[in-house]
Order: sequence, then structure tokens, then C-alpha cells
Amino acid sequence: MARSPETEAPTDPSARQYDIDAAHPLPYGGGGLPTFAARDRGNGQGGLMALQVARDAPARGMVLRDLTNAKIENLAIPLAHQTAAAPGASAYYVICPAPPGRPLSMLTRPWSEAVIIGQVLRPIAQILVELEQRRITHRAIRPNNVFESQTNLPVTLGAAWAAPPAMHQSEIFEPPYSAMCHPSGRGDGQIADDVYALGVLLIVLATGRVPLASLDPVAAIRRKLELGSFAALTAEEKLPPIISDLVRNMLAEDPEHRPPPTLLLDPFAARGRRVAARPPRRAQRPLQIGSTTVWDARTLAFAIGTQPEAGFQSMRTGDTMQWLRRTLGDATLAVRIEELLRHRATEGRSDDTRADAATVMRAVVLIDPLAPLCWRGTVVWPDAMGAAMAMGLVTEPPLLEHMEELIILEMIPNWAMLRPDRCDFTGLRIESRRHRSLLQTRGPGGGLPRLIYSLNPLLPCLSPLTRDRWVASLADMVPALEAAVGADPSGAEPLDPHIVAFIAVRSERRLDSEVNGLNGRADEAEWLIARLRLLAQLQLRYNSRPLPRLAGWFAAKAGPLVALWNNRPRRADVASAINTLAAAGHLTPMLALIEDPAGRSADAQGAKTAAQDLTTIEAELASITDGGPHRTAQAARIGQEAAAVIGLAALAAMMTLAAIG
Amino acid sequence: MAKAKAKAASAKQGGGSLMWLQGLACGGLAALVPGIALQVGILLLPAIVALMLDRERGKPVARAVLLCTLAASVEPMRALWNSAQGGDLGFSLVADLHAVTLTWGAAAGGWLLTQVIPVAVGMVLNTTADKRSAELREARARLIAEWGLGNPADQ
Repeated sequence: MARSPETEAPTDPSARQYDIDAAHPLPYGGGGLPTFAARDRGNGQGGLMALQVARDAPARGMVLRDLTNAKIENLAIPLAHQTAAAPGASAYYVICPAPPGRPLSMLTRPWSEAVIIGQVLRPIAQILVELEQRRITHRAIRPNNVFESQTNLPVTLGAAWAAPPAMHQSEIFEPPYSAMCHPSGRGDGQIADDVYALGVLLIVLATGRVPLASLDPVAAIRRKLELGSFAALTAEEKLPPIISDLVRNMLAEDPEHRPPPTLLLDPFAARGRRVAARPPRRAQRPLQIGSTTVWDARTLAFAIGTQPEAGFQSMRTGDTMQWLRRTLGDATLAVRIEELLRHRATEGRSDDTRADAATVMRAVVLIDPLAPLCWRGTVVWPDAMGAAMAMGLVTEPPLLEHMEELIILEMIPNWAMLRPDRCDFTGLRIESRRHRSLLQTRGPGGGLPRLIYSLNPLLPCLSPLTRDRWVASLADMVPALEAAVGADPSGAEPLDPHIVAFIAVRSERRLDSEVNGLNGRADEAEWLIARLRLLAQLQLRYNSRPLPRLAGWFAAKAGPLVALWNNRPRRADVASAINTLAAAGHLTPMLALIEDPAGRSADAQGAKTAAQDLTTIEAELASITDGGPHRTAQAARIGQEAAAVIGLAALAAMMTLAAIG
Repeated sequence: MAKAKAKAASAKQGGGSLMWLQGLACGGLAALVPGIALQVGILLLPAIVALMLDRERGKPVARAVLLCTLAASVEPMRALWNSAQGGDLGFSLVADLHAVTLTWGAAAGGWLLTQVIPVAVGMVLNTTADKRSAELREARARLIAEWGLGNPADQ
């Protein structure tokens, strides 16, 4: 059994206590996700599974935080989440109890009504009640993620925590307004979406087969929109009466019309609940939008949202309004769209594609208020921005571009303003402005990477420098950077925008000053010191093991740092000390040595004094060089005076001798 | 301008008066005591020539020559004075080549002093300056080596 490498620091103190056997996959355990057998290292308990998280589809961080080790029966509760070795590179796993039996997708015979109600509906409804109390949705109720137990025991609901919500749901099990979204853009949604999926599961169990399985995803969604989900999913099947009544309510198009999980605990009460939902109005003649033949308003919104160029062209030529007014008989909607187009005409240039996209987005909401946000053909729910951006960053650049546009142009509040009774407009506006602010943050720790890491608490660092590791936390980051530097200390810089943004977000403002210090450093020495300061703090706070390679990288680049000192002998001492400290691998003493405010101040003062002394010496040397004639004149004057003094002395002596006699 | 011209004229006039007074004193001396006058004139001849030739301010060369000549003339003059100031004696002294040679030699010594001493002093001054210059260059080299001053490539 493979063990987590000891060189990796734990993501949190409770983690890393599970051994994951990468050689023992559990093909049916994870509802489609790669799943392996796991064992508790502490007590040796087996019967666990580890669901592998994909790099472009982060696990549900908030859900894992709130749900880990919770007590909910018949649900694969997450026990821990951790990095561990995997073939080729480290990977991230969510540890859960292994399912007790086979998934329901492996069963071929229909179940009886009593068994469905007793072993499936009530237990899962109870789970949904518990989840709803915690403000959590499951979003992965489907036959291959629900597992049978022993006879006459409730089924077990599988895990839904190792991927973005509903990402692996097929279109059949999702409400059409979620199914039409990008797989990573379905969002946490609401518990009513789980009720819908449960309703589809009941149909599958009652009939023994998956409805609409022969249709492609888009055709299945169109069928649901055109006929209504219940009619589309049960058109050719005869269901038991109680199941039929329950499922009719559970598959209501409007989430508010679906029964809450508490009501489903008493199926007989739930079946008596009647919701007056009007069937979609069907036109006499179809309207062609791109490749879609439209018969009703919902499908029109879907066609315009997913084929925006054709949809906008149809609106601009008036075909859509004419069809709405004359064929569908909805003149009010036609007038509102005409107003929208008049507003577009005054909004900007005719070739402004952003204005066209905004018009399409608003038109979709006007035509079908239940529809999600449609932008340039990408369909998402606003609460899925994080997962969608993560996937866009790793695998789908156009998706990322569309999400970025939505944030920059503040389209989410615009969308919410058109359907204020169906979403929290104020909350979305505040959140959108916060996202925009993060996106517009300048410097290496801001911009798109910062926003994406901020929105995805479990997204690993996606820097090319840490590609072969799963860096989930700052404790993981330090050894990853040490490994990224490699054996060549003169290699590339160990910090890039992704790493800096990751540090900025995951440090939760504790390293803000160090991260902000990276901005606007034109001077090479200041640039290096800012990076050294950040990495020293990282080592100090999150992983105190020696980092000789990182320190060696700084030592190799230390020329500008040493040159901060003016005194040449001091420079030599500093260079020698840096190399010594680098070999020890501790960055904080290196930083202290280089910064040393008292020493630097004394050095600067010494340099100033030396410069003054040099000026004085130069002046004196110049005066000596230029002073030859002056010295000659001075020598002549002194010599003549001396000659006169000698003559005078001789005269005085002779006169004295003469006087004496 | 006019004032300056007047002042220069006045100074020239004063100098001329002094010259005339000196000439009168010399003439008087030659008339009253021709022997002494003749002896003084002969003994001080180099100094008189030096005074005439030295155009420097303060006449430093002539001054040294005069003082040395006077020092050497003291003894002959005292002998002349003690010998009743006779004209014959004066002429005999003129013929005393020893005294003349000694006096004129002293004059030459005075001139030589004015030529040699400045050279010697100049050598001392230059030596001192060279030594100081060497010290300064050494200090400058030390500062540059220690602080990297003056050579941008080292900074």
C-alpha cells in the first residue's frame, strides 16, 4: 500500500492519516470519479475510499469544511481531504467511507413502489433535510452514485465533494436550467435541484431504465423544455400511482414548486400537494434560431442563449418579435424585447459585440426568467463562477475569457436586476464588485489568478513551476518551491504571478505586506529583497525546514544585494556570510544580514565621509601639482631674506669686533 | 588720472631730491676728506654697482651684497680712521690689494648667498611637497580601494 510521501507537509493537522492504495481502484465507488481503496493509518480501519480530485475541477472546499466528520446516516460523509502520491505526480483526495454495495446503475429490474419509498425516497429525503439544515446541496444524486445496502436497508448516497457541484451529473438528472449550463458552471444551486434529481432517480428505479437515454444532451434538454420535465421523462412509461404523483411535483420546472425534503419524508402527504403549473404554450408555427427549431418561449430562450449570434440576428430583423406576437400570441413579451433592442441602438456602436452579448443576456431573462445567465453562448449560474474560472484557466481559455468579461462588465448584477424575486440581487452585486476589485488588483499578487484562487479554496497552485506537485496549502508551497528551483541555482525566478497570487490568497492577509512589497520594484536589489522577504516569511510561518536550493538561488543572484554595501571589505564579508547562510538553507538570517538597517546606515555614513575625504585629498594634490612656481618664488624670497640676515649678522659681528678693539 | 600723474611726478621729484642730496653729501665728503672718500668709494664699489643693477623691488641682491661689503669694510675703515685721516694713507690703502680683495670677495659672497640659498630652500620645499603628495596619493588609493570611490566600474 502506497504511503503519502514524508517529504510533503500536511495540509492540516488532521490530514495525512490515511494511506491510499493507488494500485487498488474502486471503479464503481466514486460515481464516475477515479476512486481508490484507503485505510486509516492510525487504527488500521479499512473500508474507506479516496476520491481523486481533478486539477481543473477543484473539490468543494466550503462543503468539506462544514461537512467533514458530520453525523449523517446513509451518506458518504467526507472524513478528510489530503494530498498523496499518485502515478506521475502527487494528487488530492477526498476520503470517505466506501459504499456498502453495488451502485443502483448496475441493477436492471424495476423496484417495487414500497421498496422505492422505504429504502430510497425516505432515506435520501432525510439526508437532504440534514444537508439543507447545513445550507449544503448534494448535486450528485444519480444511479451510479447511490448504493444498495443489505436487503431491506436504506440505500447509501455517495460522495459529491470531490468535484464542482453537479459537474458529473448527466443532463437527465439535472433540471433543464442546470443541465444547459457548462458542467463546471452549474453551481451549488438549491436543495430543490437535489429533489429534482431524486425524482428522476425514482423514475429510473420504478421503470428499471434511464429515460431519454437515447437522446443527445441538447435534445434531452430541449425535450424537457418543450414538454416539461415530467412529461418528457415519463412519456412512454407507466409509473406506480404514488411515485407518479410524487415525481410530478418533484420535477416541476420552477424550483419553488418542488416539494421540500421535509415534505418528502411523508410521501403520502407529499403526493397530495398540487402545484398549478401551466404547461408551456406551444406555437402554431416554429421559429428557426440557428440550428434549433423553436416551438415555445422556453426553447426560444435556450436557443438564443446558446446560439447568441443567430438569436441576436433574429431579434434584430424582427423575426423573433413577429413570431412572439403573431404565432405565440405573447405581444407583451414582444414589446419588451423591442424596447430592449431600442435601448441597444442607443447604447453604443453597432459593432460593439459586448453590447450585443448584453442584449442577448437580457433577452433570455425576459423570455424565460428561470433561465441561467447566458453570455456569448456560455451558460452558467453565478454561484459557479469559481469552478468555471478554474476549469477555464486549466483547459478552456474561451470559458475563462467569458467569465472575466462577466466580472469586468458587472453583468451578474445586471442579470440579477432583471429577476430580483428569484435571486439575492444585493448580495450578488456586492460579491460582483468584490470580484471585480480583485480582478483589477495590480501587481504580481493580483488580477485573474488572485480572483480564481480566492473563489476556489481547494484549487491547487497552477503555476508551471509546481506542475508536478499538488500544492494545496502554503505548507505544501515551500517544499514545492524548493523543488522547483532545481539543482541549478542560476535558474529562473522561483516566484511567478500564480505562486504570488496563491500565497496572497491562502495566507489570508497575513502576508499582505510582503506580497504588496513585490509591486513596482524597478531596482534589482529591491526586487530581490522583496522576494526574499516574502519567502523568508513563508518559511518562518509555514515550513521551517531548511531550503538550501532556494537560499542558493538568492546567493547566486546576490550581486546586487552585496553591492548595497559601499565598503568593499564589508561587501566581501557579506558575500561570504550569504554563501554560508545559503548552505544552511535559512532565509530569515539572510534577509537580516542584507537588510541590517544599523549596518547599512553606518556604511552610508562612512561612504559619505570617505567621499568628503577624497575631495579634500584631490584638492590638496591639485594644489601641490600646481604649486611649483609658488614654491620657487617662496624659496627665492626666503633665500634673499636669509642672505640679508647673514650679511647683517656679519656686519654686526665685525662692528662689535671693531668696537672691542 | 591727473591726480595719479601729479603723485607720480611728486614721487619722482622727491627721489630726484634725495639723489641730489646724496650727490651733494658725496661731493662734500670728497672735497673735505678725499682720502676716506676715495677708500669708501673703492671698497663699496661692488655694492654701488649692485645697487645700480638690481631692479627688483627692495633690491634684495644689492642689499645682501651691501651688507657683506660693509661687514668686510669695517676693519679697513677703522684702520683708516685711526691713522689721522690723511690723504696719503687713503691712497696707500687703495693700493692695499688685500683689503680690496677681501671686501670685494665679501661682496661676491653676499651675491653668492642670494643665489644659492633660494635654490637650497626650493629643494627643501619641493621635497616636502613631494612627500606630502605621495602620502595623499596613498590615502586616496586606500579610500578608493576601501569604498570604491572615483571608479564607477567598481560601484
